[in-house]
Parts: sequence; structure tokens; C-alpha cells
Amino acid sequence: MSRARTHLDGDWFSGGLPGNLVLGKKVYIDTSYGFHAALSQRDVGIRFGDYCGSYDRSTYVIGPRGSVRLGSYTFLNATYFYCNDRITVGSFVMFAWGVIVTDTWLPLRSTAEDRRRVLAEAAADPERRLPPSAPPRPVTIEDNVWVGFSSVVLPGVTLGRGCIIGCKTIVRDDVPPYAIVVGDPPRIVRTLEPDDDEGARERAIQEYAHHL
Amino acid sequence: MTAPRYYPLIPGAEFPGDWFKGRIPRNIVVGENTVIDSSFSFQHFYSKRDAGLRVGRDVTFWRTQLAVEERGEMRVGDHCYLANALLICAERLSVGARVMIAGGVTVADTDFHPLPPAERLADAVAVSTAGKPGHRPPIETAPVSIGDDVWIGFNATILKGVTIGAGAVVEPGSLVLADVEAGARVGGNPARVLEAGAGP
Repeated sequence: MSRARTHLDGDWFSGGLPGNLVLGKKVYIDTSYGFHAALSQRDVGIRFGDYCGSYDRSTYVIGPRGSVRLGSYTFLNATYFYCNDRITVGSFVMFAWGVIVTDTWLPLRSTAEDRRRVLAEAAADPERRLPPSAPPRPVTIEDNVWVGFSSVVLPGVTLGRGCIIGCKTIVRDDVPPYAIVVGDPPRIVRTLEPDDDEGARERAIQEYAHHL
Repeated sequence: MTAPRYYPLIPGAEFPGDWFKGRIPRNIVVGENTVIDSSFSFQHFYSKRDAGLRVGRDVTFWRTQLAVEERGEMRVGDHCYLANALLICAERLSVGARVMIAGGVTVADTDFHPLPPAERLADAVAVSTAGKPGHRPPIETAPVSIGDDVWIGFNATILKGVTIGAGAVVEPGSLVLADVEAGARVGGNPARVLEAGAGP
């Protein structure tokens, strides 16, 4: 299936954005460079909600069956998504540089034979897509999460609403809402007050949203 | 015109439609069906060896930096897949066959700078705009060797002198400073054994 790609004005990279990219209101994308391996064949390959920003060459490597959804007021700074099934991100989420979010990695036990097969398939594919090395496990990042620089969010993880992932944290298990989690292996160092209610959201938009 | 994703890796080539207007170095040896996305990978390739890079067949390089210093030699075996990684070679960096190196990985066979303060100060002068390329104080290097069928996870780091035995798995985020036994699984910073190897 081929889709026309759209080109961003003034883009230094000529690859263009995929046809199945859905944009909300006032979404900022700095260049199409990071979308060159976004090869989803789904109706929606990537959806950005309103007022999102994707910059510093944030990169989306998406397989044919992958789909990435992001809510509103979410930004991605030099963030890498590897998606073969589903990655769902909420609103008001902050990704710092070098973060990796993936729904695909190796299973706990893999054989060299299994891994060889993946690489042989990749070399035989003209698009050099790396097939999943294990069944992908969807990742969910809820509203108002902050993911610290160079962290890795691994397959099957849910990051609960309002949590903070410290820098360089390798997240293998669900993180409870409002927890602050750091390290490898990760541990909870604090739990925040859950004060981001509907009223807080309305006040935030009242005060800080000038360009709706 | 939409840029192609991959070009065959050919010594001395310039790729039409390459976003980076560079050229593939001539002193590389490449096997069949090996591809690369841009000459940008060789932005910091300065090797003066006869074969500064030797790559096998069926290899995929995607958005990967192959930074090699003047006396460095880098080797990559058949059927490897390197994506969004950074390989830095001052002396010797060898990757076996069927190795997967994931996004955000750094592999380096060098300390980059001296450790003793006086020498480090000297290196700061040497690499400044006042210095001269190629004239630096001595820097410690030690070859890195990654065995066949090794997979290295996202954002892992492999430092100088490390040998990773065949079939080992390096978990995402690992910082590897010591040898990894064949068939083992390691993780953490510093990396420790999560699952011992079954031997070669």
C-alpha cells in the first residue's frame, strides 16, 4: 500500500511525513527526518493531539501493524518510539531527550536461532524492517507523566497518571500513578500529591493557553 | 523527490538524494547486499588504514555513526543490524556476525581523553581551536570485541576493553565495563549478570 507523503515547508530533509499521520490543532513538527522509518500500514500510523510538539529529530520507527497515539499538550524532545503494535500516550506528557519507548524487545529467554531468523528476514526485506523479536506488548503512558532523559520504557509497561520517571531509568514494570521512580533497577523514591484534577486543568488552560 | 531509505554501501560513492552531501570513504571493504541510509554515518570516519572498515554481507546500517580515528580499524560481520547507534573506534572495534545493536547504544574502544589532570588540561588545549588535528597527548584505548549472535539493547553502553561472548544479550540501559561470558544476559549500571552463560 503506498501513500503520498506531505512535505513540511522549509524542511531540510526531503523524506516528508507519512500519509497516515493525523494531526490535531497547532501541532509542531520540526522536520520529517524522524518519520522516515514510520512505516505503519494502519489507517492511523501516528496521531498527535492538539498543541503537541515533536522536535530535536524525535524519531518514530513503526512497523506495518504499529500505531502510536498521543494526547494533547504533549511534547517529545529527541525521543525515540519503536512500535510494532500499539503505544498510547496521554495529554500533558513530557518526554526528555534520549528517551526510548518500545513495545518490542526480546523475551526473557530467547535463543540465538530465534534472533538469527529476525536478522535474516530483515536482510531480505528491501525496506530493511526489523520484524518483532517477540510478540509486541502495548505500552500506555497516562496523562501528566514526565519521562526523564535517556530512560527506556519497555514493552507491556503502563506509566500511571502523574508519575515521574527519573533520568536513565529502565522501566520494566508498571509504575503507579504519582510515583517518582529512579534507577536501574527502578525503585519508588516518593509519591506526589494527586492535585492535577479537572479544576487544575481548567486553571492551567485559563492562565497559560494564549493561542488556542 | 522522496529520499530513498537505503543505498548500497559502495566505497567512494556519493548517493543521489542523500540529505548529507558527503562521500563514502574509499578505504572500506563491503560484502553483498549491505546497505546504509546516508553518508552522514562517515562524518567522523578518519581512518588511514588500508581497510578502516570491513563489513560483511547482508548488513543494515540505519542512522548509525561510524566514528573511526586515524589508526582505527572497525569490523562488522555478516547479517548485522545497527540502528541509531554510535560506534567509536580509536584502535579496534570488532562486531561478529548476526549482531543487533539497538537505538541509543554507544560502543567505544577508547577513553576519549586522558585521566590525569595535567594531561587532560593538555588535551583541552590540543583539541581547542588553538591546537592542531592529530596532535594530542596519549589516550588509553583497548579493543572491543562483540561476538556472533549478540543482541545489545536500547541505550546500552559498551566501554573499552570489553569482550562480549557469542550469543550474549545486553539488556537495555546496561553499562558494560567488563567482559560478558558467552550466552549470558547482563543488565544494569554497572552491568551485572542476570543470567549466567551456558558457555560458548
